[in-house]
Amino acid sequence: MTDFRARVFGYHRKAHEDEDLQTVLEKIPIFQDLSKRELAAVVRVLHRREYVPDELIIRQDEPGLGMYIIQKGKAVVVTEPDNIQLSELSDGDFFGEVSLLDETPRSASVIARSHCTIFGFFQSDLFSLIERDPRFGVKIVVRVAKIIGDRLRKANQQMQALTEDLQRARGSQTRADRP
Amino acid sequence: MMPAKSRPIWDLAPMLIAFVVAIILLFVGKAAQVVIISLLLAYILDPVVTALESRGVPRGLATLLVLLFLGTTIAVLAILLVPVIIHQVRALQSGATTQVAAKAIETIQQSLRERLSFLGLGSLDLGAKIEEFKRTIGEKVFEFLVKDSLELVISVVTIPFMMFFFLKDGRDLKKRVVSMVPNRYFEFTLDLLYKMDVQLGNYLRGQFVDALTFGVLSIIALWILGVNYFVFLGAFAGLANLIPYVGPIAGMVPAAIVAVLNSGSLGSAVAVIIAFAILKLVDDFVVQPLVVASSVEMHPVLVLVAIMIGGELFGILGMLLAVPVAGFFKVVLKEGVNTYRKYRFS
Repeated sequence: MTDFRARVFGYHRKAHEDEDLQTVLEKIPIFQDLSKRELAAVVRVLHRREYVPDELIIRQDEPGLGMYIIQKGKAVVVTEPDNIQLSELSDGDFFGEVSLLDETPRSASVIARSHCTIFGFFQSDLFSLIERDPRFGVKIVVRVAKIIGDRLRKANQQMQALTEDLQRARGSQTRADRP
Repeated sequence: MMPAKSRPIWDLAPMLIAFVVAIILLFVGKAAQVVIISLLLAYILDPVVTALESRGVPRGLATLLVLLFLGTTIAVLAILLVPVIIHQVRALQSGATTQVAAKAIETIQQSLRERLSFLGLGSLDLGAKIEEFKRTIGEKVFEFLVKDSLELVISVVTIPFMMFFFLKDGRDLKKRVVSMVPNRYFEFTLDLLYKMDVQLGNYLRGQFVDALTFGVLSIIALWILGVNYFVFLGAFAGLANLIPYVGPIAGMVPAAIVAVLNSGSLGSAVAVIIAFAILKLVDDFVVQPLVVASSVEMHPVLVLVAIMIGGELFGILGMLLAVPVAGFFKVVLKEGVNTYRKYRFS
């Protein structure tokens, strides 16, 4: 009976896919504090999407609703309107995680470069998880907050380095201008 | 951010959808009613199931527990109230011909004939009108309780069955629907569904709590005033309060008529009117601001048109469902246009 049901409804394939996806999720910092059971709960709320090469995944300036995880395929991050490529993403990479907490417009577009299987995890799903199991939801929120904190720290360091570079450049310019 | 574009055809889309749904409802009638009622009740009960789920109860079991509790409560209330309602309706049909009541009717009739003859009330037969009202209200209640019992039994079975699946698998159903949307419109659809879910959920739960509160307060007020059939009349007033503008009056009039027939004096009717006016003030200024979401405010004309269409299609039940359904389309229209403007579909 189980074999028949598995053949008809594809249970084995689904379970296998879920395990693969859990392995991908375990490597993503946001989900690293979660237990197997909690990861399985996240897998249940994810939205699976398939993209063909050159298809737009997210568009710059549109509302950011949540994050995407690339299970398989390649994509590029580009800025509009000058179409500058910022980075390339592949299997296991993720983007848009800040949108889990903040619905500000997307800062860049992401376009598929090959056939991509991507999973979306959205703010509404996170809020729903928090409502159902606050302790579990808070683990994800804390991780997102840590990532944002890290980025802020790195941005501050970069800004400090750039300011020092600018001051040095101004100093050398002043010295060069002296008669 | 791109500037908002004006797209008249798209702006009209939700109205067209509403029109198509209305036509479909007209044809599928009863089945649509059962689905709509199940959906509305599932929506109202969803936070209770989610609250149990957050305490570690699996969703399926939580749904079952909530439905069992609700079913038991309704069964107990039905066992206690149905005989009382049948008794009260029978009494209403046969018991209003006391001498005091007849005298009161005669006095009111005389007064109306003299003062409002210019409106064509010179030959008004109030006694016959009241007899007609008593007969029809009794017939309607018996029709609902006895004649339509098969339909009632089918609804009693199908509504909880549908509610169970809407509550347990609602999220999966939504996910399946979203999975069918093309990639480009996927985030837009998700965004729209989430906003609609929040607004509609608050609105429907607010309406339910408001009707329940108004019904209980009406029963207490009528009991204090010593009006007969207070349970039936109070419950009716609570339900009628779901219909804006005309509902509170429709709920008050039968209570005032019964009060006059009981006591034979207009004073008791005035007391009922004052009691309902106070209840309405409490409802408007205390209960509604606390429980009803203000985000689904609708223009009075829209509300009245919705009530008329609902009444025309499905009778009293249609009138009751008209406002939540109109609220649903209002939210779809408002959020649909607002959300669409944030995206750059071209």
